[in-house]
Amino acid sequence: MASEGASGKYTTVSIPVTLYRRIKKLIEDTGFTSVSSYVTYVLREIVAAHEMEKGEEPFTPEDRERIIEKLRRLGYLD
Amino acid sequence: MRKLLVIGLDAAPPRLLYEELVGELPTLGALIEEGARYQLKSCHPPITIPAWAVMTTGKTPGELGLYGFRHRKPGAYNEYWIASSRSIHFPQTWDILGRRGLRSVIVGVPPSYPPRPIRGYMISCFITPSNEVRFTWPPSLKRELKDYIFDVVFRTNERDKLIQELWRMTKRRFQVLRMLSRRKWDFFMFVEIGVDRVQHAFWGYMDKEHHKYEPGNKYEEVIKEYYKLIDEELEQLLKEVPKDAIIVLVSDHGAKRMKGAFCVNQWLADEGYLKLKEEPKKPGMELREVEVDWSQTTAWGWGGYYARIFINLKGREPHGYIDKRDYEAIRDQLIRDLERIRGPHGERWDTKAYRPEDLYQEVKGSPPDLIVYFDDLSWRSAGTLGWPTNYLRENDRGPDDAVHDWYGIYVVHDPQGTIEVGEKGIMKIECINDHLLELIGV
Repeated sequence: MASEGASGKYTTVSIPVTLYRRIKKLIEDTGFTSVSSYVTYVLREIVAAHEMEKGEEPFTPEDRERIIEKLRRLGYLD
Repeated sequence: MRKLLVIGLDAAPPRLLYEELVGELPTLGALIEEGARYQLKSCHPPITIPAWAVMTTGKTPGELGLYGFRHRKPGAYNEYWIASSRSIHFPQTWDILGRRGLRSVIVGVPPSYPPRPIRGYMISCFITPSNEVRFTWPPSLKRELKDYIFDVVFRTNERDKLIQELWRMTKRRFQVLRMLSRRKWDFFMFVEIGVDRVQHAFWGYMDKEHHKYEPGNKYEEVIKEYYKLIDEELEQLLKEVPKDAIIVLVSDHGAKRMKGAFCVNQWLADEGYLKLKEEPKKPGMELREVEVDWSQTTAWGWGGYYARIFINLKGREPHGYIDKRDYEAIRDQLIRDLERIRGPHGERWDTKAYRPEDLYQEVKGSPPDLIVYFDDLSWRSAGTLGWPTNYLRENDRGPDDAVHDWYGIYVVHDPQGTIEVGEKGIMKIECINDHLLELIGV
């Protein structure tokens, strides 16, 4: 299990050194200032995509009803 | 690499911004007069969803599989799903920038609920169910957005209250935009949905050619006043934006006066395409509330700013009636019949009915069998039944004065003067994404 970092908001995971080096080279001259910020960005994208694939409904049944009623009142569903 | 601010004004038409109001809006006027001006050609259909998604992915509605707010669930007559951020399966402008480490601030770009992680900040759009849900990225941003307003409901007769709500919503949004503009960003894009709402609600009070227009009416200037509000708010926002940022002004489609609503399902029933087992008991009944004889129904329709027609195809629909071998002939016949429809006084209409594959090279998702624009969008489509006529001068679900139009606006203003100023012709909405990336320099 990963241990909590000093700030309490970050923790450490291990990646192979060669991958670390490749990323470091890849992010030269981009807006990423560290390998960690790049890895975090990429992981968030992939995790969000996997969550989407799991097909979770974006709206709860109550929210869905609320949205449908709203869209109807906005003229999109007549 | 240049910083870029995109000011999205949902449904802002060239007529108002390039012609009628330009002289009265100092901030917007200066951007327009000193910018490269395009007529933005919207997509098929020219509707908020899919239009903003087309703009920010560079993909057509066919590639996106997005044809409006709702889409049929295959195999059911009355079930549908609602488009959300999860319906977009292509990287959007800010995703492409994020992969290069560039930071974005994205506010209210439809469809952006539920908010997805981006490199920067995101506030979701008007399809957000309520302020109770998670509507920001990062989630902690929500704590700073007390009393944030996503949208107003414009189909109301309480006009004064609506004006108050519109003003409150927009002022709050710009407060938030100013706060976010002080954070670190490379790309900043927001959409003010209030422009679309004020036009739908007050177009008939402003447009002398609208059938509801009365000279000297109390609300004649509301649309103009609303644009002035945007102009003043924008002046304040631009003070916070780096002086060398490129500024883009864009809408997703235009707007024009609504001539009325055409009852598509009543017409289909009149023509024998749709068979009802019973007469609708009252005006305004939805098709799902009326018993349909699916065993003899050829086609049915959906309303909205355009009509979607579905054919009751064997093998695809629960009680399919039309054989696959007759499908194309039926579609051809429907196109001929739809395009022959005349107006309430026998006047010729400019109605167009398209097969999705005529409009898009790739057709994904659950498209309708026909996409129909009554009288070039001037008449919206009403799916409800039980009306004494097929031509409703008022909308079937509360007051609405405007419909969508094909052309919106696209203005690029560079304070550094690298972009040639003046009329630049037409820009297709699906080309905007590439154009924005080019302006930023990636």
